[in-house]
Amino acid sequence: MPRQFAYYPGCVAEFSSKELNATTKALAPLLDIELLPMPQATCCGAGDVAQAKPNLYLTLNVRILSEAESMGVDILTICNVCTLNLRRANKMVKEDSRVLEAVNEELVKAGARPYQGTIEVTHLLWFLATEEGLSLLEARGPRGLNGLKVAPYYGCQLLRPSSVMGFEDPDRPQSLERLITALGGEVSDYEGKTRCCGFPIILAREEVALKESHVALAGARDAGAQVMVTPCPLCHLAMDAYQRKTEQLMGEEYAMPVLHLPQLIGLALGLPTKTMEFKRHLVPVDEVLSIVGA
Amino acid sequence: MRTHDVVVVGAGLAGMRAAIAAHEAGVDVALVTKLHPVRSHSGAAQGGINAALGNETEDSTDNHTFDTVKGADYIGDQDAIEILCQRAPLEIYQLEHWGAVFSRQEDSGKIAQRPFGGAGFPRTCYAADLTGLVILHTLYTVCVKYDIPTYEEWFVTDLVTDDDGHAVGVVAYDMIHGTIETIGAKAVVMATGGAGRVYRPSTNAHASTGDAMGMALRKGVPLKDMEFMQFHPTTLAANGVLVTEGARGEGGYLLNKDGDRFMTKYAPNKLELASRDVVSRAEATEIMEGRGIDGCVMLDLRHLGRDRIMERLPQIRELAIAFAGTDPIVEPIPIRPGAHYHMGGVHVDNWGAAPHMPGLFAAGECSCVSVHGANRLGGNSLLEAVVFGARAGEASAAYVQEHSAAPKVPSNAAADTQARIENLLSRDKGIRQFEIRDELAGVMQEKVGVYRSGPVLGEAKRTVTELRERFQSVVVDDKGKTFNTDLIHTLETGFLLDLADCMVTGAIARTESRGAHSRTDFTERDDENWMKHTLSYLDDGEVRLDYSEVAMTKYEPQVRSY
Amino acid sequence: MPATTFRIFRYQPDSGETESYHQDFQLEHGEKTTLLDAILRIQNEQDGTVAVRYSCRSAICGSCACKANGKTVLACMMQVEHVKTDSGQEIVQVDPIGNFTPIKDLVVDMTPFWDKFKAVKPFLIPDGPAPEKERLVPKAAMEKIAKESKCILCAACYSECNSLAADPEFVGPAAFAWGYRFAADERDGQRKNRAKLYSGEHGVWDCTRCMFCNERCPKGVDPRDAIEKLGSIAFQEKVTSDKGARHAKAFLISLRTGGKLNEILIAPYTDPIGAPFNAPLALRMAQKGKLPKSPLTHRVKDRDQVKKLIKNVKETI
Repeated sequence: MPRQFAYYPGCVAEFSSKELNATTKALAPLLDIELLPMPQATCCGAGDVAQAKPNLYLTLNVRILSEAESMGVDILTICNVCTLNLRRANKMVKEDSRVLEAVNEELVKAGARPYQGTIEVTHLLWFLATEEGLSLLEARGPRGLNGLKVAPYYGCQLLRPSSVMGFEDPDRPQSLERLITALGGEVSDYEGKTRCCGFPIILAREEVALKESHVALAGARDAGAQVMVTPCPLCHLAMDAYQRKTEQLMGEEYAMPVLHLPQLIGLALGLPTKTMEFKRHLVPVDEVLSIVGA
Repeated sequence: MRTHDVVVVGAGLAGMRAAIAAHEAGVDVALVTKLHPVRSHSGAAQGGINAALGNETEDSTDNHTFDTVKGADYIGDQDAIEILCQRAPLEIYQLEHWGAVFSRQEDSGKIAQRPFGGAGFPRTCYAADLTGLVILHTLYTVCVKYDIPTYEEWFVTDLVTDDDGHAVGVVAYDMIHGTIETIGAKAVVMATGGAGRVYRPSTNAHASTGDAMGMALRKGVPLKDMEFMQFHPTTLAANGVLVTEGARGEGGYLLNKDGDRFMTKYAPNKLELASRDVVSRAEATEIMEGRGIDGCVMLDLRHLGRDRIMERLPQIRELAIAFAGTDPIVEPIPIRPGAHYHMGGVHVDNWGAAPHMPGLFAAGECSCVSVHGANRLGGNSLLEAVVFGARAGEASAAYVQEHSAAPKVPSNAAADTQARIENLLSRDKGIRQFEIRDELAGVMQEKVGVYRSGPVLGEAKRTVTELRERFQSVVVDDKGKTFNTDLIHTLETGFLLDLADCMVTGAIARTESRGAHSRTDFTERDDENWMKHTLSYLDDGEVRLDYSEVAMTKYEPQVRSY
Repeated sequence: MPATTFRIFRYQPDSGETESYHQDFQLEHGEKTTLLDAILRIQNEQDGTVAVRYSCRSAICGSCACKANGKTVLACMMQVEHVKTDSGQEIVQVDPIGNFTPIKDLVVDMTPFWDKFKAVKPFLIPDGPAPEKERLVPKAAMEKIAKESKCILCAACYSECNSLAADPEFVGPAAFAWGYRFAADERDGQRKNRAKLYSGEHGVWDCTRCMFCNERCPKGVDPRDAIEKLGSIAFQEKVTSDKGARHAKAFLISLRTGGKLNEILIAPYTDPIGAPFNAPLALRMAQKGKLPKSPLTHRVKDRDQVKKLIKNVKETI
């Protein structure tokens, strides 16, 4: 009996980074999980709705939580920002019943289902980086990554604030490293793997954002990584789609392909490369594919 | 050389309040601090500030006055105390108008007031348990608003006087650049706080080294009531950090090793909220008589409940967890008496002016008006700092307006400091300051503590004298110009030694028990012989004592029981 | 207990050294010894030239922020043994706070920090004259700014601020915590002006949301939350011309019209002037299929509920 989740891919995975959505869906049966669609779920609002209308941010996210609750399952995410937003909203209403009451009043008034506070939100990375998750992968008999040198990139919002996220030590996270090793890759460690890629301000303050991205890209490059892996499609956009712009701004060269976490797993488990839609990346991944023997 | 009309030394509550008052009176005032204003130790005050606002119950400034006079064990100057208590509401409202985030009553929106030690009515206004921090910040924001020039990380070493013996400025050591600077002024306000670091443990910051008192003393200005050091009843055993009286104000109990609320024996009416000297003595007695646990008694807050502790006492909970490994929600905190507040200080009048030196003013803990006499009530120190800080600021501005001629700063004003520093830096061998400071603090703690006696005080005096001798050959490890903390600490230790000598000498001479000064060989209060202030002078390196009258307006001394 | 190696950052301009370096000190200490106590003992017993700022030793004066094995802490609160177990390292490396220029060893030049603090006008500017007694303020209103009032200006938040690292002129978390403390103070009359002052270049919309400040603040101030709330105040005061604010508006429009983020809208709406310059990137992204073919896919089921929520939910900051 596969483990069921309410699947919340987030807007970027659904549209700009379809490859992430496609890969995750293809991976699900291999991981013995069933991804139930959430037809009512809106955008989580990123950090932007919270910085404009915090009460609206809270209400919208609780509406999403409520939809999953109506299905009787937890939410599975594949994006850092969505995870932080949903978990933060969940924490706020679970910790203060007056807040939950006020939110539910608005939901009911708008014709939506009130939330009882019974479900959890987890990211695919967290699901897999446990003993259970790792044995699931092992049981699949991975072809492996053939010693591919992978630089783990966490970004910010999957780790901090730790009072909301709390899966692992925000300063010395190990979940990506565990996965990379379990899948037969080699970890290229570097400082900067928990620093911000700048995506939240990439449109409003492009230069500042790209300078932030540079720190991680340069760090991974100097550590000898052949590829970076990230659990967040926003970070992916910043470091893949904008990589050339960052190179131009900083006068640097990274030549660093960036994979979504499910793609790294898919490579190790032998998913067909066409399914993983690498053609949508701006930085070519051909070399990675040849090292892995895909 | 820089000049200002008024220079204020020390940028804590009293210093900043004085500067604000002087600025509002229209004179050019500057602040000088060896830290940054927001780093001042005023920020560590937790529990509250007193004023007879009457927001919780009916109250009156008369009640406040009486409580303070009694708390002072009858050697507070009653006219000064009346001024303190009468101006208190005005100062609280002024702070609120400037934006202080006082805790409020549930329904009325008025400033909330809690019960505190020695107070007949709940009149301690508070901001959770961060009252000092909130007021410090409020005053700093006003200084920023007024753009008051502030010399940060300038360590003032010397008071400058002209040929007539008037205060005309200060000499300071710029800690960032290692240069010696003179600031000329028509009036000088000293506000450098207390000297708790004479003891170990103490609730005081490392920076509380009594600098202004030391400087004034060296220029012939007497210090008053130096033997009265308040030992706060609830300090963490681990490192002396303060646990606010507010914890008892909210209803906390003090328990001995048998789980008994022992204050029923010592202060049957006020119990844990008797005045501080009474409680500290009670604790010391319990501990000495074997009813303590590891040299401590327990402060039990469990019955207050999680919500109340989180709302009213969150900071002390964090401190207890961090330093004592105890969460007061579930366990009692081990505490013991610790040196906390110095009632003594630079002898000044009701306006903060030093009678022995025209142009010199002092306010706050470094001064002695005296409003606290032999023991200070909780919540009255923050009050004194703002009331008398404001008055010293106003008085210094008035003085400047009357003495408008440019200050006659001698051309060799900085020579003394220069020589002292050069001397220290040129030595290659010798004892480091921390060894002397450690020994000093140890002997003060052991022999000039909560309970004192003639012979033991005599031993202390001998040790202090010896340490002052040895200090002559102290060496400074760091010969550099940039941020030379070793040099600063050495200069501070010099002040501490002089002040300790005054404290011990005064304690030996006062053959009675009054307020915080408790003698096992003279256990009674002796109003006939000792209702007076002690004045200490430093003549050629020797402490000389004199005495002055206590002003009594309304209240005859009574038996003091709680 | 056996001795710990303390690897302390040294920068000693007096000695003529222009480069910084690390110096190792061995010190035996107790189980609960704090980092500050260890440094002071090293100062006393081994090398009197080590420079560090400190005063209260009880986490209230804010002087002693530093990095211990890369993580910013208050030295007076941090036990040496905790640094080791936290970091999994036996050697304790002590560095000055990040994003500042060292003056000597662990002492940094705090001038930019104080300047930015002053730049947000951190003082009450009331509307109208004060009453005779205290202004009556409901307890709940005062509690709205209680968290931000705990800021001790220690700069731990600045130490690891990722926006500041990329843009040294970013006003920064602590200054904005104070900005919010006044903007949301019922007694202050400058809400709209503050919103304008805090938007704009290097303002609240420059925050990259790395959350390091919330994570590091030793007093639980949550400066990032304060920045978020300032954005909300800006929206309430209709101060929304900054690109960052427009970016947020694009989200609101997307939510209202379909429910999911409309990525065709977002770049040109955020930056109508600058977006055309990114046309080459937009084109490449379109070629890779990163732009949607139809807005219909962005519509969620029961989106009338969303429209109602957008209309009904009131902001209460």
